[in-house]
Amino acid sequence: MLGRLAFVAGSVVAVIVATVALVGLFMLQRPGTLEGPSTSIHLETVAAVGAAIEWPRPNDPHLDWVSYLPTTILRVPANSTINVQIDQEDGATGLRNPFWGKVFGTDGGNMHVKYFDDKGNPQEGDMTSIDPTLAAHTFAVPDLGVFVPLLGISDNAPAGSANIITFSFKTKGPGVYRWQCFVPCAAGTVFGNGGPMQTLGYMAGELIVS
Amino acid sequence: MGMFRLEGQDRVHAGRLAVIWVILSVIGIVAALQIHYPPYDNSVQGADQSKTMALMTVLAVPIFIGVVLMLVYSAIFFRRRGLELVDGPPMLGNTPVQVAWIGISAVVVLFLAVVGITTLASSSAAQAVGAAGRAIGQSGETGSSTAGGQGPELQVQVVAQQWYFTYRYADYGGVETTHLYLPLNRPVELHVTSLDIIHSFWAYQLGVKADANPGVDNVFHVTPDKLGGFQVRCAELCGIWHGHMADSDGRVVSQSDFDAWIAQQQKDEADIQKALPSYAPYYFPEPLTKGS
Amino acid sequence: MVTAEHVSERRLSIPNNPITGVLLAIPAYFAGLWLGTLFGLNDDANTGIILGYTFATVAFLIGVGFLNYPLERLFGWRVSPISDPEENRGIGRFFRLSLDHKVIGMQYLVTILIMLLFGGIGAMLIRSSLLSPDSSITPPGQYIMLIGLHSVMMIFITSAVIVGPFGNYLVPLMIGARRMAFPRLEALSFWLVPPAAVILAAAAFWGGFPTGWTGYPPLSEQAGQGMDSYIVGFALIGLALIVSGINMLATIITLRAPGMTWTRLPIFVWGIFTTSILGMLAAPVLAVALVQLAMDRTVQTSFFLSANGGSNYLWQNLFWFFGHPEVYIFILPAFGIIMEIVPHFARKPLWGYRTGVVGLFGVALLSWFVWQHHLFVSGIAPVLRPFYMLSTELISIPTGIIFLVTLGTLWRARVWFTVPMLFCMGFLFNFLIGGISGVYLSDVPTDVTLHGSYFSMAHFHYTIMGGEIFALMAACYYWLPKMTGKMLSATIGRVHFWWMFIAFNSTFFPLFIAGILNMPRRVSSYDPALQGLNTWVTISAYFLFGSMILFAGNVIYSLFFSARPALANPWHARSLEWQLPTPVPAYNFERVPMIVGGPYDYGVPNARPVADLGGLVGVTGGG
Repeated sequence: MLGRLAFVAGSVVAVIVATVALVGLFMLQRPGTLEGPSTSIHLETVAAVGAAIEWPRPNDPHLDWVSYLPTTILRVPANSTINVQIDQEDGATGLRNPFWGKVFGTDGGNMHVKYFDDKGNPQEGDMTSIDPTLAAHTFAVPDLGVFVPLLGISDNAPAGSANIITFSFKTKGPGVYRWQCFVPCAAGTVFGNGGPMQTLGYMAGELIVS
Repeated sequence: MGMFRLEGQDRVHAGRLAVIWVILSVIGIVAALQIHYPPYDNSVQGADQSKTMALMTVLAVPIFIGVVLMLVYSAIFFRRRGLELVDGPPMLGNTPVQVAWIGISAVVVLFLAVVGITTLASSSAAQAVGAAGRAIGQSGETGSSTAGGQGPELQVQVVAQQWYFTYRYADYGGVETTHLYLPLNRPVELHVTSLDIIHSFWAYQLGVKADANPGVDNVFHVTPDKLGGFQVRCAELCGIWHGHMADSDGRVVSQSDFDAWIAQQQKDEADIQKALPSYAPYYFPEPLTKGS
Repeated sequence: MVTAEHVSERRLSIPNNPITGVLLAIPAYFAGLWLGTLFGLNDDANTGIILGYTFATVAFLIGVGFLNYPLERLFGWRVSPISDPEENRGIGRFFRLSLDHKVIGMQYLVTILIMLLFGGIGAMLIRSSLLSPDSSITPPGQYIMLIGLHSVMMIFITSAVIVGPFGNYLVPLMIGARRMAFPRLEALSFWLVPPAAVILAAAAFWGGFPTGWTGYPPLSEQAGQGMDSYIVGFALIGLALIVSGINMLATIITLRAPGMTWTRLPIFVWGIFTTSILGMLAAPVLAVALVQLAMDRTVQTSFFLSANGGSNYLWQNLFWFFGHPEVYIFILPAFGIIMEIVPHFARKPLWGYRTGVVGLFGVALLSWFVWQHHLFVSGIAPVLRPFYMLSTELISIPTGIIFLVTLGTLWRARVWFTVPMLFCMGFLFNFLIGGISGVYLSDVPTDVTLHGSYFSMAHFHYTIMGGEIFALMAACYYWLPKMTGKMLSATIGRVHFWWMFIAFNSTFFPLFIAGILNMPRRVSSYDPALQGLNTWVTISAYFLFGSMILFAGNVIYSLFFSARPALANPWHARSLEWQLPTPVPAYNFERVPMIVGGPYDYGVPNARPVADLGGLVGVTGGG
């Protein structure tokens, strides 16, 4: 009888451990990160994952979602200057709060933008703010005070081209900082803030400072 | 069956319990009064809350001690001795005791309600009873001076969105800022609204919590009376970054520091200021409904 | 099998069991999904998913056998023997549609304990994530999904955990009835629970829902397809509450045995009675709100979108108009259990029986007038707040009566400290803290700081977990001997009680402090200064989970390994259910008994036994 008891107790414990492990693994899933902390970040924004140029993700479950690529889990070193380049391939949606059209928290308080004007001519220059209605996304790390609006690609720009935005900012101590977009770019969801805006790996991300 | 009078044994137990209860309650109340209750006294309204919390604890201590004492006393003195199952005295109830219990709890409850209502009705209340609290589609109902007039109360709008609070100072041309600075000892009228879903603006140290609803101007009054920093957090579940919707850089500063700070903000943000909508009690951005 | 003489007595030939139900439900789900995408106004498939879940549930119920009886009556076929407990025997009856209230009670108990395990695992994962003050363990998206699944699963459980198993099993035994008034409704109220749980769990497949159990729009309209699980699952539980409420009320009103006057009714039955009133009247309000939410999400109405003329306050009012009575649906049967068990072990009559009944009704009545205390800081008209503050604080008067009645019963008693009695004492201690902390939340000035913080979270865990679940444990230790024929081990039971009691208080008391110190509910990331407190709580929570495992172990050990059959009346209790033999025969009583005494007349001189049972007397106790 003791053997039977041990068997039942063992199987109960095994079932619970298996359930916890299964559920736990599912719950702990994060999208992949780039290897190692780096002081330079290169990202691409696309209107749909399926339309990615630099970092295609053909097996993505949401090919029609707007996204940053290749990932939104970024590893950076603490207390250092991070150089960011974003290839902005998505068109403008416009900001819900126009205030975020201003650049905050970058070195020099500005960003360098190579873009196409509304006639499709290439332009280049430093900016401290953009027209809020022309914003496609923002790169924002609120806990570091970094808010950078990203100019949407002009309708007349050559096909397959991108606005190139570069800027740098300083990290503080180690920790997990969230970063997000303030443009309601998740088409088809209420207030444009559902779906990709609330899913890691698309328009929501973590800046892991170590 | 002894239904309506105390028997000798009842008196012995009741007397003992009363003595222990009074002693423990006095100790408990003295201990409870030693605690300085959050949200402390960084603002007039916070001090009110702190005082109310102290009062409640002072009232709760004797009740808690009384009931726990009865439970422990029963476990010790009213337990069965030996193995034999013995029935207790068949007391079916005692009307005076029941009336007294209900009467006393009614008095305590009504006292608390009266204290609460008095606090609510006082002129310094965060949301006074008589005040028009919010306006849905009624501009100007809240008495906010939207045109930048230097009223006695500083008008500050809290704009919540997924997932950040920004602030607009109506008296300073509607300048928008990423942190909340408030001048010392000046009454502030906070107008809390949201651009998308429901958030809740919680400035813990100031004793302010007000939900931010889209299309609603939720008015809350606060008078900070201590210099220093305060934290702002969202207290209503608002999606993935709810837990991160926090800012520990709120500041209560002197009037002169405040003037210098707000002038700097106006200067720094002159470029984006032109693009902001004019100050209004609330904003009604397109909800972008499903499928649109 | 069809012979000439049986032709006129045709019956449905499919075997009715849950497997058939699942086999029918799967194609029904896809049919609904297809139909929804055909007519859906958006490309998120919400219409299809809601229709799919609904179709699947109906198909499951048909597969289980709910259509047989209407069809049999309609076409004049022979009625299946399923309606007769005498014919429906063996272990298989627990896995099929049964109309025997005792079988349904056991089905409920096992189902809900399994759900409780999953809800508890959710709680452990939540606590594990909070070991770190930033969201480095569980990503924030999965964290709010866990919050949603844990909370709604627990709400499903706590809505039914006492009324379902113990209400269904015991009410007929306690009132001297041979069955429930509406056995098919009773079975339906059970068979809605597994689909609701499965549909809720399906939310995980869609990424969960971000709203917690309150489902506030516009967040719930912004949410992905997981939200549809919340809508349909909650609606099914609401339906279960309605049908079970109607059934209980009809049973208690009409099927009491002769002599079972209203003042001889065991107080537990009064607890079920008041709960049933609340469930029957509150759940329709929830159903209305859920239908509106479903329409907002699918056919683009805007009940809750202020920009298009709706109001998110509408949801908050409807939800809490249901939600506040709902929390008394949790606790009223627990009050009933405590007041029922204490007299039997105090060996004294229930002190102030009528006052206790008035207390139950007072709570039930006042619960309809307090819902706006959930909206104190939401921007409601300030002039409303004093009224809701007063009405909320008034609830402490009838709640105080429950304490008065139990303490009065303990007064000069000869308490026999069995395991159920320990859990009753634990309940009184925990619920006292839960109740007192509720007064802090009812007062507007303190609520400004405490609202939506861990303080309110600790408060309702003290009332629900410390209250209702402790009462559930008392009920299990007290009544499982009658229901299963085996005594639960008292030694393990004592260890279980002390372990659970200490771990529970060690888990939830520090959370009051976390709430006062600036920790909002439902956050994946919090002030690092509170990490020590949270680590303590998490470790205590693991111990609390361990105590529940010990309980499960005790049940399994005692039922299957320890050969300790229960006596018919191991507690020597006077009340009617203990006068029956164990196991309780089909149809309970050979004939409807004649009630001649009160259930709690301990020590009353010349007290008569509780009932004249005819030839079927078990062991008479007390008196």
